[in-house]
Amino acid sequence: MSALLPLATLASSLLTAGVIFMLPEQAARARTALNLVAAMTKLVLVMWMARGLIAGQVYAVEFPVAEGLAFVLRVDALGLTFAGLSSLLWLFTTIYAIGYLENSPNRRRFFGFFSLCVASTLGISLAGNLFTLLIFYELLTLSTYPLVAHRGTPQALVAATVYLRYTLSAGLVLMVGMVALQVLAGDLRFGQREILAHLGEAYHPLLIGLFWLLILGFGVKAALVPLHGWLPRAMVAPAPVSALLHAVAVVKAGAFGILRLVYDVYGIGFSAALGVLDGLVAIACVTIVYGSIRALTQEELKPRLAFSTVSQVAYIVLGIGLFGPLGTIAALAHLLHQGLMKVTLFFCAGNYAEELGIHRIDELDGVGRRMPLSSLAFTVGALGMIGLPPVVGFVTKWTLGMGAMQAEQPWVLAVLVFSTLLNAAYFLPILNRLWFRPGPAHGVGTWPCERAPSRLETSAWLLLPALATALLSLLAGMLAGLPFSPLQWATWVVNQTYLALLI
Amino acid sequence: MIELPLAPLLYTALLWPLLLGLRALLRSLIAPSPARVTLDWLWISAPLPALALAVLGADGSLPLQTWLLGGRWELDGQRRLLLAFTALLWGLAGWYARGYLAAEQAQAAAGDTDSRSRLVRFALPWQLTLCGNLLLLVAEDIASFYLGFALMTFAAYALVIHCNTAKARVGGLAYLAMAVLGEAMILAGLLWGAGSASALTLSQLRAALATADAGLWMGLLLWLGFGVKAGVIGLHLWLPLAHPVAPTPASAVLSGAMIKAGLVGWLSTLPLGMAVVDASFHALGQVMLSAGLAGAFAAALLGIVQRHPKAVLAYSSVSQMGMLTALVAVGLLRPESWPALSALVILFAAHHGLSKGALFLGVGISRHPPPWPGWLLWTLLALPGLSLAGALGSGLLTKWGTKTVLDAAGEHTLVIWLSLAAVGTTVLMVRTLWCQWQQRARASADGQRALAPMPLAWLLSILATLSLPFWADRLAGDLTGGRGGGFAWPPLAALPDLFWPLGLGLLLALTLGWSLRRVAPWLSHWLPAGDLWWPVAKGCRWLWRISRSALRGLSALQAAWVAWWLARERDGLTGLEVLTRAEGWLRRQLAILLLAVAVGLAAVLLFSAQSTPLWPQYLSRHAS
Repeated sequence: MSALLPLATLASSLLTAGVIFMLPEQAARARTALNLVAAMTKLVLVMWMARGLIAGQVYAVEFPVAEGLAFVLRVDALGLTFAGLSSLLWLFTTIYAIGYLENSPNRRRFFGFFSLCVASTLGISLAGNLFTLLIFYELLTLSTYPLVAHRGTPQALVAATVYLRYTLSAGLVLMVGMVALQVLAGDLRFGQREILAHLGEAYHPLLIGLFWLLILGFGVKAALVPLHGWLPRAMVAPAPVSALLHAVAVVKAGAFGILRLVYDVYGIGFSAALGVLDGLVAIACVTIVYGSIRALTQEELKPRLAFSTVSQVAYIVLGIGLFGPLGTIAALAHLLHQGLMKVTLFFCAGNYAEELGIHRIDELDGVGRRMPLSSLAFTVGALGMIGLPPVVGFVTKWTLGMGAMQAEQPWVLAVLVFSTLLNAAYFLPILNRLWFRPGPAHGVGTWPCERAPSRLETSAWLLLPALATALLSLLAGMLAGLPFSPLQWATWVVNQTYLALLI
Repeated sequence: MIELPLAPLLYTALLWPLLLGLRALLRSLIAPSPARVTLDWLWISAPLPALALAVLGADGSLPLQTWLLGGRWELDGQRRLLLAFTALLWGLAGWYARGYLAAEQAQAAAGDTDSRSRLVRFALPWQLTLCGNLLLLVAEDIASFYLGFALMTFAAYALVIHCNTAKARVGGLAYLAMAVLGEAMILAGLLWGAGSASALTLSQLRAALATADAGLWMGLLLWLGFGVKAGVIGLHLWLPLAHPVAPTPASAVLSGAMIKAGLVGWLSTLPLGMAVVDASFHALGQVMLSAGLAGAFAAALLGIVQRHPKAVLAYSSVSQMGMLTALVAVGLLRPESWPALSALVILFAAHHGLSKGALFLGVGISRHPPPWPGWLLWTLLALPGLSLAGALGSGLLTKWGTKTVLDAAGEHTLVIWLSLAAVGTTVLMVRTLWCQWQQRARASADGQRALAPMPLAWLLSILATLSLPFWADRLAGDLTGGRGGGFAWPPLAALPDLFWPLGLGLLLALTLGWSLRRVAPWLSHWLPAGDLWWPVAKGCRWLWRISRSALRGLSALQAAWVAWWLARERDGLTGLEVLTRAEGWLRRQLAILLLAVAVGLAAVLLFSAQSTPLWPQYLSRHAS
């Protein structure tokens, strides 16, 4: 049982991918059913494992690959956090994608790689050592390429090529770093943090160098400035893919890699002793501010959201860099929070594009009247990004602020507040346009490309996921004190492991 | 008095407005039938549970484990009085709105969808703003307080720009820009203060601020952040821009109730009246005192030249809040006198809130006058003004109380300054009435039935203002208990001392009005409502243009950098290509090449055979 569950969870997506590739293109219903069943199964399995983990059970499986190298899947609290996020949001994204791609060509290819992408995300979260993590990390790169290029337009192909250039080079760098660590310390299982710390003083310069090498590798997917160039380009992908890139899988995989590196490979105490955490904080702060400033100058909706992701994901890295339990709680909680909020925003942006053909921000005038529910969801997401209560973004910002004070770096507060200002400066004008400017719904001008009106404001497949994630991000903030809220879960994870991390 | 359990009252008070707002929204979304009235009686009833809470609720606190970061809502004497006047004003303004928007309602009933959506855009934000305002009054945990403050601030934006004219949009922009700035400063102060002592409640925060190393700077941030809402001079720019453009009932609650949230913020976060407070807080106290008095006078001067009665009233609010700022500053300068003073500050807030509410509601009355005799109407319009100037009811009470407390604390100079500021208040009140008189409309018989809520709500608001001294005591309870028997009326002998600012103000208003009648239009033109906003906005636009071009330059630089790398990559590929071609060439010419090498080798051999050895030493050593 204990070996079966992680494998079954992985298989639930991997097998789905295989079956979808074998199904004929026209079998839309079977594909939809399969997708939904797989998503639900995975969610249930992950929740089951979470229950078991709290009860103290151990889920692990291991195959030797070569002398001193093994393929290890092992469930721990940190990995389960990421697995829970990705399987929950995958459910919503799948529902959304089914509605979004209705009657469009190449759906078999799309959903096949879609499942493969989530399978690799799951593999990343359950990986028990650096080697396994790296395998799935590369698989994620390869399985997202066809999704970014899905539309097949020259723009999409260029964007996908740029994406591949960035991520493959990063993979190469990671490989070098991993091999070097393997040579130094053997098979690095996550959780055996004392190995590197016990290598001795003489190795410290080398270890610091390797740390930054690996950060360089993970930083590409985490879109840390200046490695973020691929993310805004990849905006040409369909909306569910953007949601996947920004909230569920890719960017999060990078951030999760950094989490693993700091907490489970080097160990937070050893990282602090090496003095690499301050560098991480500095990079995160630069990214937060730079991403927000670039977002401010974007005139299209999706690129603005993309730069907002660059800025928001750096919050996670900032939390990692702030030495102390509160910083870690903030990082873990924001991993979940940012996913919920960003996925809402992308769903809504996709709805606007599908229903009304809106891509530019100045075309959003008066949309609130035509599409009130989508706009409501968008409003919740945007207010959360600014960090206003009761949306979850506030919980993150508060915990990060407390973490900064705990780490005795009060200047970080200035970055947080400045970022709040910038977020307000680029989200509030959008909200103003949505709700308070007269537009085509008030008889001023016309929509760029309106679909025939339906009973709801748009297809239920598109509307419901957006509403659900908006509601979740509202509830997760309002009831942050509830036992299974992201904040409480993150606190539990940190309470379980932080004392051990301090080695 | 009967006392009811706290929890259900608290929940109802906060949820009822939310539910009613939701109801307005759902009715417009799900079943849009034109016959339904948006602003019906149920909608007006929103603040009633809060009023009941203020009157009937028992003192105590309600911990909420699962709420945000751990919630705690409380009710005590101070909160009770604030809650009572806030709920009262909101209720009256809501009732007034029913008459104020009667024309819109009639259009909506006739089937105009635009009117109906405008009504929903008033009805929903109104309730959200109310909910935020009530929450920030009862909140004791920092997160709830910040939530209430933010909810109130951002929902009120919809009320400010409700008319959607060009002017309303400028007012809305000023409101929103300043509000965001204020929120940022508040957030910085809260995070810094709470983080330094892991505080979760406001009282912990106050204690943390008093002893923290950088307490002065945290206090400064919080003072400035809440100062945006309270209209501290320099941060008051939004007030005179947003008030005139908002619908009249919204202006009334903006200036009467919401502006007090800034004051509540100060009272909740600054270490007022704490003996242990760091000595550096004296500096902050001095700054607050000077800023408050400067605001009281500057706003009076700026207000005199305004032509819109609501703009004059907005400046009067800035002036009054300046006086309150000065009083709050005394709490930092002389902690020992704060217990007595704090009760008066709350009374002052309630008094100003209700009077200013009545004055704002009166602006709508002079525009749509009921068919009453002129003398009655204008006397009633003047009453809240007289109260604000300190000649009547709550004004007189507040003034006397403040004077006694300050005299006892030895702040005689401050008393004189405040009396002089009251002269400014009198002049502003005269100016308001004059503007209303100039822009008055004739009473007409038609539509009076629909408009009826306006004069009724307005009359009640005047009544509430004048009767405040009689019920404030009961609610404030323990707040004034320490001084034996509540707020006191002044003895007859003290009246001349209290009335001279009023007389001087009236005299000044007459002389100024007569002597400046020529230059007045010119002055109004050069000192428009919002004063500093215009140059600041211009500067910001200029900065924005510069930074945008700088960013464009940056992206161009980045593009050039990427292009350079791509070019290097192309060079590399070209190099590879050359290599590949060279390889092909090699393969094709292999025979000739080999032949050439063989020939070359042969030539070398031949050459070496005919001459001396190439490596003589090696050969010789080998030979030996």
